[in-house]
Parts: sequence; structure tokens; C-alpha cells
Amino acid sequence: MRKVTIWDHLILILGAVIMMGPLVVAFLTSTHDSVDIYMSGLQFTFGDRFVPTYDKVLAHSGGFTKEVTGLTMLWNSLILGLGFAIGKIVISMMAAYAIVYFRFRFATAVFWLIFSTLLLPLEVRIIPSYEVVQKFGLLNSYAGMIVPLIASATGTFFFRQFYKSVPDELLEAARIDGAGPFKFFIDILVPLSTTMMSALFIIMFVYGWNQYLWPTLMTTDEHYFTIVRGIKQILQVWVGGNQIPAYNEAMALAILAVVPPVLVVILFQRWFIKGLTESDK
Amino acid sequence: MIKRLVSFSISLALLSNTALAATEITWWHGMGGKLGDVVNEIANRYNASQADCHLTPAFKGTYEETLTAGIAAFRAGEQPNILQVFDAGSATIINAKGAVIPAQDLLEQEGVKLNPDDYIDGVRNFYADASGKFIGMPFNSSSPIMYFNKEALAKAGVEPPKTWEEFEAIAPKLKDAGYVPLVQSHMPWIFVENFFSRNNVQFASNDNGYKGAEGTKILINTPEIKMHWTHVKDWKDKGWFGFYGVPGPDNQKPFEEGKVALFLASSGAFGGLAKTASMPFGSTFLPYWGSIKGAGVHSFIGGAALFAMSGKAAAENACTAKFFSFLTSPEIQYYWHKETGYVPVTKAAYELAKADGYYAKTPDAETGIKQLSLPGAEWDKGYRMGFYVQIRDVMNREFVKLLNGDESVDAAFATIETDSNALLEKFAKTTAASN
Amino acid sequence: MKRVQFQSRWVPYVLLLPQLTIVCLFFLWPAGEAIRSSFYLEDPFGFGSTFVGLDNFKTILSDPEYFKAAAFTAVFTFLVAFFALSLSLLLAVKADKVVKGATVYKTLIIWVYAVAPPVTGLIGAMLFDVNIGPFTHLAHDFGWDMRVGVNYYDTAFAMVVAAVWNQIPINFIYFLSGLQSIPKAVQEAASIDCRSSFKRFWTVTFPLLAPTGFFMLVINITYAMFDTFGLVDVMTKNEPANNPVTLVYKVYADGFRGNDLGGSSAQSVVLMIVVFALTIVQFRFVERRVHYN
Repeated sequence: MRKVTIWDHLILILGAVIMMGPLVVAFLTSTHDSVDIYMSGLQFTFGDRFVPTYDKVLAHSGGFTKEVTGLTMLWNSLILGLGFAIGKIVISMMAAYAIVYFRFRFATAVFWLIFSTLLLPLEVRIIPSYEVVQKFGLLNSYAGMIVPLIASATGTFFFRQFYKSVPDELLEAARIDGAGPFKFFIDILVPLSTTMMSALFIIMFVYGWNQYLWPTLMTTDEHYFTIVRGIKQILQVWVGGNQIPAYNEAMALAILAVVPPVLVVILFQRWFIKGLTESDK
Repeated sequence: MIKRLVSFSISLALLSNTALAATEITWWHGMGGKLGDVVNEIANRYNASQADCHLTPAFKGTYEETLTAGIAAFRAGEQPNILQVFDAGSATIINAKGAVIPAQDLLEQEGVKLNPDDYIDGVRNFYADASGKFIGMPFNSSSPIMYFNKEALAKAGVEPPKTWEEFEAIAPKLKDAGYVPLVQSHMPWIFVENFFSRNNVQFASNDNGYKGAEGTKILINTPEIKMHWTHVKDWKDKGWFGFYGVPGPDNQKPFEEGKVALFLASSGAFGGLAKTASMPFGSTFLPYWGSIKGAGVHSFIGGAALFAMSGKAAAENACTAKFFSFLTSPEIQYYWHKETGYVPVTKAAYELAKADGYYAKTPDAETGIKQLSLPGAEWDKGYRMGFYVQIRDVMNREFVKLLNGDESVDAAFATIETDSNALLEKFAKTTAASN
Repeated sequence: MKRVQFQSRWVPYVLLLPQLTIVCLFFLWPAGEAIRSSFYLEDPFGFGSTFVGLDNFKTILSDPEYFKAAAFTAVFTFLVAFFALSLSLLLAVKADKVVKGATVYKTLIIWVYAVAPPVTGLIGAMLFDVNIGPFTHLAHDFGWDMRVGVNYYDTAFAMVVAAVWNQIPINFIYFLSGLQSIPKAVQEAASIDCRSSFKRFWTVTFPLLAPTGFFMLVINITYAMFDTFGLVDVMTKNEPANNPVTLVYKVYADGFRGNDLGGSSAQSVVLMIVVFALTIVQFRFVERRVHYN
């Protein structure tokens, strides 16, 4: 069969080093003093400030109310990531199912309408979106943070691609067995889509987790602040302001912010690669 | 047990009742890191100082993000009571007549007399209207000054220059001593806006833009500033001027590393420099041109001000007014000055700091205030131009091209003039219907 | 389209309802708002506005800086999509091949996907720092006077590297899953018929990857055009100056950062038209060559 050469491993090692290197450096940097980081930049050794820095960002209560810790912010980001990913997957599966498996008037129009959302990122339509959210009374709420982000069509597009590649025979067989549209969807299509769902879950969770501009604009209550906002807040010290940013704390939060999405990625990529291989052989 | 629970809930109810009795006001700001902590502390002190009002500050991102969040909220009727707006955004909010209650009116409604003469000269007019009435309440304020590397000056055997002519005389010696003679940290602020104030040259028509957006034109394609930049480019070519990009920190680093002799930066930078600079340093005023008649007057501030948003209940406005009085009290101004390096905005706070012996310990903290208190003249009160964020972007773009040698001084300033005036004309149309 | 489909008077509409509601509220309405305000110059607080007809469009289309940004966006999108796709495909093919250590490689390569764009930007900005960046020092050692933030092309280079770095992992996951879904029997048959592994890849594996590839192409183009504005913002340290910027960043810079609603809306409209044309091209011409069954 195919022979594995040393080159294959070399390329992979190089790839892994290039991909991981900056993160390792960011971690090492986070264990140093902020003045050292400011003066000499990224650090390549393990410093002596690991425990105090991480203790501070995780457990120290900050903010005006003194109730916001790194953990609160991680929790908010988690809700944002999960809510966004799950909401988006459910909604876009339903829409894609309708588009691919039903013959109805306006199908083409609906298709293009949904796909037109790829044309304008949220950052561009942010002020009108704020007004809509305000009218529904959703400022300072998780729902208000999540729902406007779901508008984009990537998920629907993704499931459309997948449904189109599902063999037609499946539906024919199901119809012979007398399955209706809901039974076919729940009993056959959803189980078949688990791998796709987990694949999309990875993208969407990370996307939701990493949102900055929208949550910043529409929340003023500190209890809704996310981890990415926490990082920006630490780094934002003005030139006139007599201070240097706490780079160590920002880097530490950045490292912590990476952990949950990485767990999601690792967990789900195993599931979904396994699922794919099994379904095929 | 039950008794304890009941008494606990009663005390809880009482607690929330007293909290409810206080009028809630909000303050959106763009102060991150340590500055945000100081903002929170000031809000806490205000809340502790009286029982009627309760102020909650909220961090809303960068200055630009804070302003845009305020705008989006205003359009939806959810605006905060107090919005922090930075220098370049002040024309946007001041020209939107009806968006804010002028700070002076707000205070006078509460029976507090605001006397502009109580404020430091370079602070007084920046957020005021053409007649001198305070629209915004100056908050975090600083001015560009010159820091000098004491080792470098000693090695070259020279004194810090007062004028650019003096600089040109000592620059070769500093270079021979192995230093980059000069670096700056914010081109539009230091080498344009405060060039016009320090040298007393008109910056825009319509009284530097104070008389309204309609017909305001930038006066930048003019001999004095072009002369200055012709010299700057010449200094760069001779190795007298180091340029490391537009962002301030990129230019500050070489000074901190001890490679640079003279560094132009915010008067508030000394605290950070004290932690990071590898050599002893001092500070003095921003140089001016001896060849320009009437030059050497005071500079004006940069930073941001607090604006009281309109459309709020009278009780809330009263609380905002009280907070403005609290904020400008000498004690709070002195606390703010000490903690952050920003200048105190009132003369009384400056006197308090002097009396407390603060400047005997940290002389660099006083340089900015002294410079802002120099004698004034006609063109040193500030500027008011719309879409100024974009105008600064245009300036930076052209200056980088100029310093890289991609463009001549004439071409750069012609482009800045054309593009800025197009933006100003556009801005005038946005406000047209509101006047 | 499917040969067999359900027919129902109401089911498809019920299924589409949630998506369409969100699309109307958070996309159509704001987009309509953008189109309307592209014909006005208005005070951001909502006090005044002047109808200016097509002036905003004229301003954009006569601005050399706008075309400079458009050209950069095209080149940037091409470079990011090309390198992010090809490098991740290379890594995926290799990871699919090796047995020993495959899990370790996979895990290490996909980590970066979880890094938030502002953090990517921060790390990138520090790596390329004009005074103390390790990459800047390295470039100087090779005689390249790299000055990110001063030199246009150096900044563009740094942005492409950071964006590609951020996008490789997700492409890698998808390509790997696509590769692993190709039945081993097909690969073995191919390896008997076709001795050159390079040729085998292009004639057998690549066409089977096409549906995944098409999806990834769309995702990567969308990423490079739309989702990199945070990265552009951090890499330029919030100072566009003479740095390369993308069209979406320009909309953000003029609208969100500079409060020029009319001008930025007109830019959004131009952008919508361009992307719409691009979408049609992608679906009509590229997808036609992709086989689903």
C-alpha cells in the first residue's frame, strides 16, 4: 500500500510547530511580568509569575460591581458559543431540509433570500440591528447577543450541500415504508447528519465564542461581559494614561479563552471523523 | 432558623428599598486597564458621598466604539446619562444639536455657577462653543510635551531646545553622540493640531470651525505648517528624526531603550516611562518655531470629555450635574491627576497638588499643566472639525507616504487639503437640516 | 435538485419560518436601511439629513483610495484562500496517510482554530513588532528591512500570514474528514492502477474531495473578505494610515469608527453588489462542476 516516508512526518511536524508555536510562546509570555513583556516583547522561557497571574485573572473579582471574574466571563462566552451553535444548527437544518426536499412556490426566491445574508457581515449592519434588538427589549440579554448572529446563511448552505449528496434512494425507500416528511427528517436525515452537525458545531461554537463587537455594543451590564471583551479591556490603556497594559494578564486570559473551544474542537472532530468513516465503510 | 431567615429577608428588602430610592444614572466610557479601575473608584466615591444618586460606569470599548455605542443607543432611546467622547469625535456630538445638554446649562440649572476662568487656559475652550460656554465637561486631558534623555544630552553636552531652531543647532551633536535626536508619538496631534496652537496659526476657517460646520475649511495647505514638515522630512533624511510607524507605542519603545534623545509625547506618559525607561529622563515644553511671529503660546488638550445626553428625566440630570461638580472638585481632580497622569482641569486642583508637594517629588507631572498655562493668543483654543477621525487618517496616510519618500511635501499637503475639505463639506451636509 | 421531493402546502414554510424571520429582522431590514441611507448624508444621532442622490456613490467611485482597498481585498482574498486551502490540504493528505502519531498531529494542528481574532492579531502584532518582533529580527538577519506599519507591502505580508495561520486548522479538519470518507477500496484500487502518488491524488482523490472543496472555497473567501476586519484592525493598531485595508474594514472604519453613515452605507451597497455577483459566479460556474452523488 501507500508508503509513509520521513518527509510525510517532517511536513506534519513542521505544520504542527508553525501552528502551535505562537500559542506556546503566548503561554510562556503570560508567565512573565508585564513590564518585561512590554520592553522585550514575546518571551521564550517559563517565567516566575505563572501562579499570581492566573490566580488573578481567574479568581480576582473585578469590574465596578466587584462581581466579575475570569470565570464569569468564560461562562458568558460559553453560553454565547453554545447558544449560537445550537440555535444556528437547528434553524439551518430545518431551512435546508425545506429547500432541498420540498417542491414549493418561491423556492428559488427563498434560496436566494437566505443566501443574500452572506453579502453583509454583522459589523456592517450593526446600528440597525441594535435598534431591532432594542425594540424587542433584548438589550443586556443572552438572547439579544445570540439571535442577530444567527442571521447569516453559512449553516443553511452547509446542510444544503450535505442533503444534496444524500442518495435519493433513501427517500424513495422511506416513502414506500410510508414515512411522512417529519418522520423522514427525524428518523433518517437527522441521525445521518450527526457528523455534519458536529462539524458545523465546531465552526459555530468558535465563531460565537469569539464575538467581540456585537456583545460589546449591546451589553452594558458587566455580568454579561465575555472573555474576549475582558482581553480587550485589559489591553486598552491610552497613550496619555501613565500606564502600560497588563500584557501578562491579557495573554493569560487569551490562553484560558482558547481552552474551551479547543476541547470542543478535539471532542467533536473525533466524533465527526469517526462518524464519517463508519458511515462509509 | 425561620426567624433568622425572615429577618434576613426583611433586612434585604430594606436594603434594596434604600437602593431603589436613589436615582440611577449611567456613564459609558472607554477607559480600559488601570484607568478603568480609577474610573470605578471615582464612581464609588461619588456614590458614597451622597445618598440620592447612584452612578454605574460601563466600559464600552475604544473611544470610537464608545461613541458609536452611544449613538446607536441614542437613536433607540437607550442612551446613558453620561457619554465619554474623545477629542476627534467632539465635533460629531457638539454639532448634533439636541443630543447633549451643555454642561454649563446643566450645572446652572442646579444652581452651580460654572466660571470658565477656574479652568486651566489650555483646557477651557476645547469642548466649549464659540462663546466659551462649556458643552462637554473636560475629563481625561493631556497635552504633548518633550521628554529628554538626560544621558544623551549630557554626552552631547547640550541643553533641551526651546525652539526648533535650537533643535537644529544641537541635532548634529546628538547624532554624533550616537542617538536618534528626535522621535514623536502622534503626528496629527503633535505635529499638526498643537503645531497650530503652539505657534499661534489659524487651523480652519470659521474661527477654527467653532462657528459651525457650514463652510468650515481646513487651512492646512499653508506656508507655516508646510515649512515645518519640509524640515521634518529633511531631519528624517539627515538622521535627526526617527519614524517607527503611526502608533505611539512603536515610537516610544526606542526612547525607553535609551536610543533616542528627545521624545514628543503626552504629558501623561511620564508614569509609564518611569517604569520602563532604561535611563534618567526629564521633560520640558513642546518646542515652537522662533521664526514664526507670535509663536510660543500655550498648547491645548487631547483626550476626552464627558457629555450629558439629552432626553433624560430631570432627577437624573440633577444627579449628572452633581456628579460633574463632584468630578471637578479639587480633591477628585488631584486624585485623578496622581493616579493616571492626566492633568487636573481646574486651577484649584493644580494649587492643591502644588500645596501637597506632589511636584517636588514628580516634577514631570507638572510640565503639561505649565505648558497649558502659558500665555494665550488667538488660535490656541482648539479646533472643531467634523469627520475628524477620517481627517486624521488622511493626515497619517499622507505623512507616512511623505516620510517614506513616496511623495513631496507639496503633494502631501495638497491631498490632505482636498480630502479633508471634501470630508468637511460632507459633514456640513449631515448637520444641515438640524440647524 | 432532488428527483424525488415531498409536496406539502405548509410544511416547507413552517420549516423555513425561524430562518426567514431572523433573516428579515436582522438582515433584510438593516440592509434596506443601508440602501436608504446610502442616498443621504445624515447626522448619526438622527437630527438632520440631506438627500444627496448618488453623491455618496460618486464620492466612493472617484476615490483612488477606495480602488486601492478594492485591489488589496481581491489580492488578499486570493492569497489567503489559496494558501489556507493548499497548505491545509497538504497537511490533511499527510495526516491521512500516516498512522503513527496521527492523533497528536491532528490535535496540535487544530488548536489554533480556537484562538479569537483579537488574540491572533495581538500575537501577530507582537511577532511582527517593528522594534522587538522576533519575525522582524529574523527578516533583518536575512537582509530584509521589514517594517510592519510603515511599509505597505510588509504590513500586507504580515496580515496574509496571520490570516492564513488562523484559517488553516478548520480547513484541515474538513479536508481530513473528506479524505477519510473516501472508501479505502477506491484508494487501493487507484494505487494499483496509478503508480505516481501525485497523479493519483489529482485524478482520484481530488475530484472526490470536490464537494468539500467547494464549500471550503466559499467559506475561505467569506472569511478573507468579511471576518478578517478584526485582524486588520489589531495588526494596524487601529491606525489605517497608509496600511493596506480591506473593503469591509473600510466600511467599518468610515461607518462605525468615523460615524459617516451615508458614505459607509454606499460602500456597503457596492460591496453587496460585488459579493452578489461573486456568489452567482460561485454557484453557477463552480458548483456546476461539482458532483454530489
